[in-house]
Amino acid sequence: MNVNRLRGLAGASALSLALASGVAFAQTKMETPKYGGTLEISTVYATISALSFDSYDWPWKHNHDTGAVYEQLFATDLSKAKSRGGKASFTADAYIPTDLIRGELAEKWEWKQNPLQLVINLRKGVMFPEKPGVMKARELVADDVVYAFKRMSTSPKATGGYFDYVKDVKAADTHTVVFDMKEFNAEWDYRFGYGYYSGIIPKEVVEAPNGGASNWKNINGTGPFKLTDYVQGNSNVYEKNPDYWDKETVDGKELKLPYVDKVVYRIIKDEATRVTALRTGKLDVMELVRWQDVETLKKSTPNLKWNKWLATSGTFLSMRVDQKPFDDIRVRRAMNFAINKQEIIKAYYNDNAELFAYPQHPEYGPYFQPLNEQPASVQELFKFDPAKAKKLLAEAGYPNGFTFKTQVCSCNADHMDLLPLISAYLEQVGVKMEIQPMEYAAFLSAMTTQTNTAGYFMNNGHTNPTTTIRKSFVPKQVWNPSQWNDPKLTARMEAVYKEPDETKRIAELRAMTTEMLDNAPYIWLPTPYVYTAWWPWVKGYEGELRAGAVRPGPIYARMWIDQDLKKKMGY
Amino acid sequence: MQGYILRRILALIPTLIFASFIVFITVRLIPGNIIDLMLSQNDVSASKQTREQLESLLGLDTPMYIQYFKWMGALLFQGSLGNSLWTNTPVMDEIMQRLPVTFELGIMALLVSLIVGIPIGVYAALKQDSTGDYILRTLSILALAIPGFWVGTLVMVFPSIWWGWSPSVRYVSFSQDPLAHLGQLAIPALILGKAFSAIIMRLTRTMMLEVLRQDYIRTARAKGLSVGTIVMRHALRNALIPVVTLVGLQAPLLFGGAVILEQIFVIPGMGLLLLEAVGSRDYPTITGVFLVIGVSVVLINLLVDMSYGFLDPKVRNR
Amino acid sequence: MAEITAETAAAREGSIRRPNPYREFFSRLFREKPLGAIGAVVCLVFLFAGIFADVIAPYGFNQIMPINRMKPPSWQFWFGTDNLGRDIFSRILYGARLSVIIGLSAALLATIISVALGIITGYLGGKVDMLIQRFVDAWMSFPDIVILIVVVAVVGPGMPQVIGILGCLYGIAGSRIIRSAVLQVREQSYIHAAQSIGGGTPRILWRHVLPNVMPPVIVLFTTRVGAVILAEAALSFLGLGVPPPAPTWGGMLTGSARNYMYLAPWMALAPGICLTLVVFSINMFGDALRDLLDPRMRGHR
Repeated sequence: MNVNRLRGLAGASALSLALASGVAFAQTKMETPKYGGTLEISTVYATISALSFDSYDWPWKHNHDTGAVYEQLFATDLSKAKSRGGKASFTADAYIPTDLIRGELAEKWEWKQNPLQLVINLRKGVMFPEKPGVMKARELVADDVVYAFKRMSTSPKATGGYFDYVKDVKAADTHTVVFDMKEFNAEWDYRFGYGYYSGIIPKEVVEAPNGGASNWKNINGTGPFKLTDYVQGNSNVYEKNPDYWDKETVDGKELKLPYVDKVVYRIIKDEATRVTALRTGKLDVMELVRWQDVETLKKSTPNLKWNKWLATSGTFLSMRVDQKPFDDIRVRRAMNFAINKQEIIKAYYNDNAELFAYPQHPEYGPYFQPLNEQPASVQELFKFDPAKAKKLLAEAGYPNGFTFKTQVCSCNADHMDLLPLISAYLEQVGVKMEIQPMEYAAFLSAMTTQTNTAGYFMNNGHTNPTTTIRKSFVPKQVWNPSQWNDPKLTARMEAVYKEPDETKRIAELRAMTTEMLDNAPYIWLPTPYVYTAWWPWVKGYEGELRAGAVRPGPIYARMWIDQDLKKKMGY
Repeated sequence: MQGYILRRILALIPTLIFASFIVFITVRLIPGNIIDLMLSQNDVSASKQTREQLESLLGLDTPMYIQYFKWMGALLFQGSLGNSLWTNTPVMDEIMQRLPVTFELGIMALLVSLIVGIPIGVYAALKQDSTGDYILRTLSILALAIPGFWVGTLVMVFPSIWWGWSPSVRYVSFSQDPLAHLGQLAIPALILGKAFSAIIMRLTRTMMLEVLRQDYIRTARAKGLSVGTIVMRHALRNALIPVVTLVGLQAPLLFGGAVILEQIFVIPGMGLLLLEAVGSRDYPTITGVFLVIGVSVVLINLLVDMSYGFLDPKVRNR
Repeated sequence: MAEITAETAAAREGSIRRPNPYREFFSRLFREKPLGAIGAVVCLVFLFAGIFADVIAPYGFNQIMPINRMKPPSWQFWFGTDNLGRDIFSRILYGARLSVIIGLSAALLATIISVALGIITGYLGGKVDMLIQRFVDAWMSFPDIVILIVVVAVVGPGMPQVIGILGCLYGIAGSRIIRSAVLQVREQSYIHAAQSIGGGTPRILWRHVLPNVMPPVIVLFTTRVGAVILAEAALSFLGLGVPPPAPTWGGMLTGSARNYMYLAPWMALAPGICLTLVVFSINMFGDALRDLLDPRMRGHR
């Protein structure tokens, strides 16, 4: 690692710290929580019903719907959250920086060399509550973890190679789990620690009659809540688990979690209805408010409290590099020069967007290298320069421009508004775009089957600092709309996964990110801000969203409702 | 009468077979199949093997006609529409939970439209070409022309801003709280009934005018019977037969209108289920919903036909 | 001299007996159905607005003016501007064009399908009729919107698709009305006469049947135009209509307009009123047309 890079690293972390404290709200001293009440929430996935209640089916949203019931080995350390006087905002969708990890079911863990092993000591006294017809109350033991891992890794729907870095898993004693590793994997903590497929589902639930773990009526875990009702397309109702193990210390007093009696997810498809429900207090929290609605809400409902966060997915127009004319890097760079990105932030987003926040997210700390530290060739891609665009197009043999097709999902209102704007900019340099809107599933499948058109307008989740590069730029990955295929980059990617030293990984990923930015496989576009709104009677909360991979359960366990205030405000 | 009913029922069979074809084939034409959707749920690419495994797991690896016969067989002999590809629960269970809600919404809308439409239609016919008649007819066409989703949004948004009130978004079932349940369905039922009442009003008016011109009404009038008696005892009964037909013909409209209103007013009915299923390409659910709606409409029409027998003695003897 | 006067009087009388059918129709329309006439005039106004949108519109339909974001109606922007600073009046004009194109072409397609199916099944009868009727039964037992949702998922959203689907949908449903009209015509003596002198079926259909079912065809066409425009709006609401930047009224009514209903109510108001007004006028005109041309169709929709 050279000196420049090191300096960049230090600068980046200092800046991200400054950013974090700048964004942080005035730190209030934590009030003593009160128990009781129902929390009505429109979550980040306000329109999507649970797809499956069993992670064995490999649905990404499982963690969101059962994350308050099933627990995992790791979660975020919520004592460092803004609501607890800390600095972390916990809005990243599926990434926990190493210093913010807390053992949930794991009490401590340790890596051993020769042979490579991960030894995990489980927390003692964690109980599965009794569930009539499914299981009796009992303690969670090492065998449960072994069972859950073996079941997940042999799921017919599992992603190929996902758990290949693990050779075997054993229970050394009732509270010790040993993972025998084939090789090191940079995402070991994510893949089976706090990831999408990491929930510990007990054997009794899997073997329960009437559909086993996929039937919502059967599910039962060690988490703070129990799922007691589910209506597809309408609501998930969770009730407090009185036997939950975790506690929080406030003013020297130990308080049992969770504070509220009930949490309800409201699935409301219609945006206008959703906003109305928040406005009239029928929702206590709306985790995702698009900036378009913020103006109205701030005016009509001034009492709401707000948190502003940067979207956890990047927006871009992908260009297929395996086809003409986008196989020519000059054309791809010209496309970037043709777009006035600053103006889009002002005119379209009304200043609710950040020019540069993808493929790495500013919240990724040292992994993120800000634009002003990037080389000049990357910086210029974000400056509007139609003359240069025309010049490059002419050099590449397209002095009069060309026509290309772009697919877009008609399900995304923002994209449907934004794309005509992009099209208008491109027309000024002679490039004509044919917009082909598609319905969600068809749109998605165009990319995953690699039959997408030359242009493909989408947003892609960051996930975590490693995956964001791997899934977008390694061949045969399903989220690679530009069909990027560079054997050198692929090899580097593989090496990164096997590199145990995080400092080295950080340096390599920063270099790869810069290289990919420079290659311009996408028209890089601004990343919008999103808002979370809640009523003042919701306490112990500053807009934290995820305590794992899209898993809010532990956060909801720490929120409480000031019922006196609610009454005083007339709701 | 019995022979008539029997013939009507026999005529249903080809209709139902056609309906099942339409349902089954259309649904499978949708691009973006469930395998792609399931595989792209996660961020890591799947190998060829997983794809084939998934296909056979979901029974999608056999030719379409075999899938069709399997599907029909299960439906006819076990009353099963298969399991949802995502949640693995029987589609029939899900539909049986949803169907009553949508039915209720439809029936409430129908009641609204009959209560509003028929008296106004009779009034407009009796006062033909008066100012009142013109105004009512104009209003009815206006009611037809205003999109339901627009009215729905207005009702949702503005009262919440002006008075902090909005329709409930918490669905309560009838058994939990009958009043709250009906109250929740009332507003969408009113909006859904709006267009329908206009149609009924117009037809009632036309039919009343025709009936009022008949000889027996003139005779009744000559005998000095009051207008009220004539309308109630003679005219209305005859004028209503086509109105009943219309109810049958417009049954799909009620189901269709429910799709949008269920979304705005967060009512877990068939419409929402269909939208979700199409979004997630859950073939058994889509085909199930589609089929159940179609069959319901066919059966409603059968009932309508049979009800002629009670309204119209001429049919009874056919 | 007397003879000549008589002759001219007779000639004059003759000319009164053979009046211009169009003029007679319009004079009856204005005399007997003033509301229908108003409807026709409103439709014509929108038709011209759509055709000459390029000339009339003060701005482009996708001309984005960030400084003029969400301006209320004024002399500069008659109907205000939207969230991207586009002039709503201009968009309404171009939208009228799209509504005209979609409404007329889908209704035309629907009418052609209805006529073809209706005439063939009605005139031929027998097994073909029975089979096709069962298919139409099955088809009509599915709600429009349900079929639309599924079919748009198959073919993707877009203007030709929307026209095609709506055309087929209403075409098959409308074939019933034409069929019943054909059934009546079939038993008329002039058809029997044509058959007995050995006229070929296509010729009879074209020369004798079609002209005699024209009144219901015209009425059907008119009512379909309104229905199609409304259906496109409903599709837009579900995100399956004609995609942006095409300024359809349905799209303007359902997109960002619903987010800004409070801050910029004019965004939804203008397209909403225009949509309602046009559909209203078409229906008014259609009603009048029906009463004048074909009293038998009263009560049908």
